[in-house]
Parts: sequence; C-alpha cells; structure tokens
Amino acid sequence: MDTARLWVLRVNEADFSGWDAFTQWLEEDPGHLALYEAALAEDAFARDIAAAMPAVLPFTPRKPSVWRYAVPGAMAASLTGVVLWFGVLSGAGITEITTGPGEMRDITLADGTQIALNGNSRITYDADEPRMVTLAAGEALFEVEHDDANPFVVMVGQTRLVDAGTIFNVTSDGGAIEVGVAEGAVIYYAAGAEITLNPGDRLTRPSADAPAQVQRADTAAMGSWRDGLLQYDNAPLSDVARDLSRALGKPVRAVGGAQQMRYTGTLSATGSQQAVLEAASALLGVRLTETSDHWEMTPANAPSP
Amino acid sequence: MNADQTPSGLQAVALHERPRLLRFLVARGAGEDAEDLFQELWQRVARTAAEPVADPVSYLFRCAENLMRDVRRSAVSRERRQFEWHEAGDNDAEYPLGERVLIARERLQQVDAALEALGPRVAQVFRAYRIEGRSQALIAREHGVSLSSIEKDLQKAYRALAQLKAKFLAE
Repeated sequence: MDTARLWVLRVNEADFSGWDAFTQWLEEDPGHLALYEAALAEDAFARDIAAAMPAVLPFTPRKPSVWRYAVPGAMAASLTGVVLWFGVLSGAGITEITTGPGEMRDITLADGTQIALNGNSRITYDADEPRMVTLAAGEALFEVEHDDANPFVVMVGQTRLVDAGTIFNVTSDGGAIEVGVAEGAVIYYAAGAEITLNPGDRLTRPSADAPAQVQRADTAAMGSWRDGLLQYDNAPLSDVARDLSRALGKPVRAVGGAQQMRYTGTLSATGSQQAVLEAASALLGVRLTETSDHWEMTPANAPSP
Repeated sequence: MNADQTPSGLQAVALHERPRLLRFLVARGAGEDAEDLFQELWQRVARTAAEPVADPVSYLFRCAENLMRDVRRSAVSRERRQFEWHEAGDNDAEYPLGERVLIARERLQQVDAALEALGPRVAQVFRAYRIEGRSQALIAREHGVSLSSIEKDLQKAYRALAQLKAKFLAE
C-alpha cells in the first residue's frame, strides 16, 4: 500500500514523467491497480479534510488595548486558539459554520481576520474568495486584517459591507441589518446607498426595503454579547427579543404592546435558559411564554392571553 | 525536442505513441474499452487550445491518467456514496445538524492531533501540500531536505489518515 501511495504522490506532481515505469508497476501484479485506486481515494479524502482545515498561520496575540470593551482574561486566552473550520460541504470549496443557540465560536481566517460568531448564527465562506464572508443569519463581530489592495467584504443578503481597517459588529435578521463600528471604517453598499461608517456609528435598517439610518452608539458596548452581556440604550423590546433569540434558539416575538416598550440597561444572556428567562422577565417587565416554534414576549402587567 | 504546438501536432504524437498509450490505459484498468478510451483521449486532445506543450508525450499520458480518473469517478458516483467523512452515519435523520456539526468538529480535532503526533514537519508538510497546494519539489526546497524525505512525510500522513478514516467508519 505504501508503494501505491508513493505512486499517487509521484503521478500527482506536475512534472512527472515516469509513465513507463508506472505502467510496468501496474502490470506486475493485478492487485497493484486496486491498491493504486485505494491510494487515490485516500488522496481524495485528504483533500476533503484539508479543505476543512484552516490554512496555517501562526496566531499573533493582539495587544489588549485593541479590544474596546471589557474582555475577561479567560475569554482573551480563548481567542488565541485557531479554531478549526469544518464544512457541511454543500459544494467544492464552500464552507459553512453554524452555531447552535447560546453557542459562540471564534474563527481565524487564513489572512488573520478574526470572526466571533454569536449563537444561532451562520456564516459561509468560499475558499476561492478568501477575502469575503457571507453572514447568512445571526450576529458576528469582525476584526479584519486591513489590506487596501484587497478589502475584506461581508455580504449580508444583497448588502455589501466593505472593510476599511476595522472592528465591526453585524447582525442580520431576515432583511434587517445592523452594523456597529468600533475601530476603523466600514463602507455599507446596498441598493442605491453608499454609506461610510466610522467608529461609534451604528447603522440600522429594519427591513430590506427600508432606508438605512445611522446613529451614534457606545463603542464600548459593541460586541458585549461575547461576554454574555446585552447592553441597551432606550432600545425597543423587539430588538431585545431578537438578541434573546440567539441565546434561546427559537425566535422571540414581542407582541401585545411589548414591541413598543423600551429598555435601558444590561441583560445577562449567559447561564441556563431558565436563568436567562427569569432575568429577562424581571428586568424587562415582560412575561415569556413558550410555544412549539417560538417564544412570546408580552407585557407583564397585561392580562394573560 | 520541441514538438509541434498545434492540436494536430499533438494528435500526430498521440498516433505515434498509440501503442504505449493503449498499454497504459489497459494497465490502468480500461480493459476492453481501451480502444474506445483512446478515441476519447483523441477527442480531448483535439479540443485543447493551441498552447505550447513542453513535453507532449507526458502531456498525453497525463490526459490519459485524468481520463481514467474521470471514468472511475463516474462509476463510483453511480453507486451510492457510502460515507461522508464528516457524517456520523448514512442516515442524516439520525443526528440533528447541531450534533453532526459537533461530531465533525471533534473528528477534525482528531485529524489535527494525529498529524501533530507524527512530528512537526509532517504536519507542516501535509498542510503545505494539501491545503496550500504547493508541489513536493517546492516543499523539499523550502525545508532544505530531499524530495524523498517529503514523500516519506506524506506517506506517514496518509497512513495516519487511512487509520482514522477506518475508525470513523466503524463508529
């Protein structure tokens, strides 16, 4: 079998010229062809595996000051690991990473760009386009290796976010999008609009057809979900509901007047689902009721449905 | 010897080398279809753009090898593919997506560990070859070792992968 492996390695080299010797080896023994085919299958398996592994780059730890928000020591340490890619391979070269509810994942790309993926989220990546990532659903925090000649792009549906040397957070919810920039700049491109976002800017667009609006936001609060903290400043409960969906795994719908309620403060999204629910109910002044496919968030002082 | 660059030049070489190529196709598993496959090879060569070919004989053999791989690949996909390395089993419904994702991740970690256990150079060489797509000759130069050292490293890596694959299949 080792000899067969050797033949595969040699034949696969572009400058291989030992075809007659190869023919002779194959003719020597009828079993040799089968071994060669087995070695080819091994090689195909190795290609699949390799496609799912990150291209190697030694990770360079970053200075703590780069992270604009409080990151507990343990979390910082976990960032230094290179997380393996794996694909639910839908096609050659396309890798998809999905997180379950409440699960977070750190990813480092071949170019050094780091992505923190929040719960219930999904990104896809095509090895043929190494400077582009698609956020299919959920939330991710990007720290991009800036390259003027080859800008990093995050696609959210038909919207392009182009890095201009950045740390930025993106949430995607159907056609709704929210982008917050902590450092550097991001250029937002969507039908008819081109908007440059600077540190402290937060762009919100409630649906694919709605216009995008830019407000000022607290950069220190951005990405706090990584610590399991959700921070809000007079935010409508529909926003809180959306963020809780990522922790709970089922959509959370603010109904019965809860959508208009507002919240200022911090919500903890770590711990057991029960703990999250209790904390959210108490702090937000709501009742959370589970149905088969979603959670209903209703004002606590309204009559029971 | 700088051969003709036009497709008909390549075809002339193919005609001249026909016996050798047929022998190769047979040894490679073509059996009775060798003549038909030679015709297929002929067609492929005719369709090639007129680019300079430094070593037309090698080029033709390479075409023949690729042809045989394509033939084999079609035969395999006609049968149901039994095993996706990242799937826990044949039945997708057996494991929900979240769990399959966890299993795949765990298996990749095993692969990574197995490669690292073979020594730092083996893991590096495997990555350079299979992930970055460098040629063995280039890798040998970069590491300052002989080509056969690289071949041995890769054989070790492939052996380890084969063992892991058998283990995954058995799970």
